Amino acid sequence: MTGSPTSKAIEICGLKVGYSPANGESGFVREAISFSACGGEMIALIGPNGIGKSTLLRTMAGFQKGLDGQILYYRKPVDRFSPSELSRMLSFVSTESVQVSNLRVADLVAYGRFPYTGWLGRLSETDRLMVSDALEKVGLLKFARRMVTQLSDGERQRALIARALAQDTPFILLDEPTAFLDVKNKYEIFHLLHQLARENNKTIILSTHDLNIALREMDKFWIMLDYESIEGAPEDAVLNGWLDRLFSSGNVAFDTNSGDFYFRKEHAGTASVQGDEPAYSWTIRALERRGFYFTTRGKADLQITISKDTREGSLIWTAERNGQTVRVNTIYELFNRI
Amino acid sequence: MNVTGNKYRYHRRSWVLFAVLIMLLLLLFLADLFTGSVMIPFKDGIRALFMPSSAPETTRIILQDFRLPKAITAMVTGIALSVSGLQMQTVFRNPLAGPYVLGISAGASLGVALFALGFSSALTWGFMSGTGAWSLALVAWSGAFLVMLLVLFVSARVNDNMTILILGILFSSAASSVVSILQYFSSEAMLKSFIVWTMGSLGGVTFSQLAVLVPATVAGVLIAFYKTKDLNAFLLGENYARSLGVNIIRSRLVIFFGASLLAGTITAFCGPIGFIGIAVPHLARVMFKTANHLVLVPAVILTGANVMLLSDIIAQLPGFQATLPINSVTALLGIPVVVWMIVKNRKFAAI
Repeated sequence: MTGSPTSKAIEICGLKVGYSPANGESGFVREAISFSACGGEMIALIGPNGIGKSTLLRTMAGFQKGLDGQILYYRKPVDRFSPSELSRMLSFVSTESVQVSNLRVADLVAYGRFPYTGWLGRLSETDRLMVSDALEKVGLLKFARRMVTQLSDGERQRALIARALAQDTPFILLDEPTAFLDVKNKYEIFHLLHQLARENNKTIILSTHDLNIALREMDKFWIMLDYESIEGAPEDAVLNGWLDRLFSSGNVAFDTNSGDFYFRKEHAGTASVQGDEPAYSWTIRALERRGFYFTTRGKADLQITISKDTREGSLIWTAERNGQTVRVNTIYELFNRI
Repeated sequence: MNVTGNKYRYHRRSWVLFAVLIMLLLLLFLADLFTGSVMIPFKDGIRALFMPSSAPETTRIILQDFRLPKAITAMVTGIALSVSGLQMQTVFRNPLAGPYVLGISAGASLGVALFALGFSSALTWGFMSGTGAWSLALVAWSGAFLVMLLVLFVSARVNDNMTILILGILFSSAASSVVSILQYFSSEAMLKSFIVWTMGSLGGVTFSQLAVLVPATVAGVLIAFYKTKDLNAFLLGENYARSLGVNIIRSRLVIFFGASLLAGTITAFCGPIGFIGIAVPHLARVMFKTANHLVLVPAVILTGANVMLLSDIIAQLPGFQATLPINSVTALLGIPVVVWMIVKNRKFAAI
């Protein structure tokens, strides 16, 4: 699509989204949302549950009107697009699971061609090519004639992404695309979207709670908080401590060094570890989970040495604490003994 | 690889089924003409149909004035109710939706009752035949469309399959209560004809009523064809339909207008006939194994016409003098299909 790297493909300024209170129901309103994205970027919309991520995405997709402020696609407000213009501008993958009986995968993906077909919805040769192309990109070509109801959760999510691809829009919005998937599928979906953004220059905006993966794969974070919105590269978010603010309770914090979240724990003492990778890092990880504070200076409360059994090649952990020494073969045993 | 290159492969099944259903339709249509309290010899019957002048007078009258309009009415009724049911099931994404269950037929009945028992108390029940055909249809359409709007309005707020069904039952009850009140205040003669009407009948439809029934059904079916693409989009749910560029409100209104035109017309002339609208779309889906309305709409048209002709033949009780109310026959045929569908799905999954 058009636009130099510096021009903004999406600009959201001073947006107010939600539902005004009516009919005795309490309203839900989120104000002062300002975000932006360049073409071809991959954006993660993150924020605590119930902050209004879905509402923002729905408003961006034109499903509901913003109460104030503006959403601009290529400098044109979203409410100035007609429904058919909008359907060629952005495609949407929602959280609801699509379970339509007697619907084949290829037909589901062919729904993406809807804005381009005539009133009967017949597919042209180009449409068919787009459909098989989309199926190939998500790796579902061999499932084309399978019924949608027979797909696994991960496969169905891929099929829905293929549908969005077939719609051939510069923007793809996804509401928690990885919510119901196992770890393997989560990684694969992120990887797939990443590829699509790079190779097809799509601007992809998705909401997610999988921060570990998002940190690695996304170009930009849009962080929604109670009274403000922050945006920047994932690394900026880490270095500026923005991610800590996602958790108001204080039990969970972000470890700036490891790029992981952890629960704040009771302090169990200090520990030192000597040995080779990868056992070294994983032992530290296990110690931290138990509340030990890792140190390299001075004499620690718990001293652990990792060595290799020369005969069998297996690892041996030797732990020394208060003059007592324990020798074990697994980390699990180590913590059972100390 | 041409993954949607289904023209030759998975549409072949549909073409075969269409051919079979059309043959069956011709057979059942003929069978319907020949069943009834008076036995008609096959030869006489054929002659009466194709060479009226050479057939016995009574045979000609029975066939042309009674059985032919009845058979046509049966076909049209099956088509109209089934298409209307398919549209409602798709738009509400509810496998148990149908004109009868959602109270659309009740709305039409209420319109008819208000008109017949209320406003025209001064007139006689004679409006049922001839001149009153259009006014009768009009009140039924308005009743049906009003209930449809009510269901639409509520479903926009409460998006739950069960709730919508329960509301349909409530609407039906409310409508029949009003009808009962009207009956209480009406004369005996009018009451009797109204009660007969509520039992449903295909036999009472005259040619002048068919002149309303057929065009209205054709119009409703054309609207359904016109909206096949939108109906397909509704299968994925409102959000996806909208993101594909469907104007949800306008599209729903047009579809509901068509559906209430179909259900209202039939209710006006044949009385409330249940379970065709809910059962036939499931039969069609099972046979055609497709979710594409471009196939489903004609599939439902053919299946519905066949099922209704079969119901009428059963209602005639071949070999007996008596006839059954058509309403009971369709219920006894349709309910097992619905039960089977519920058992198969085990829960109210989307269609």
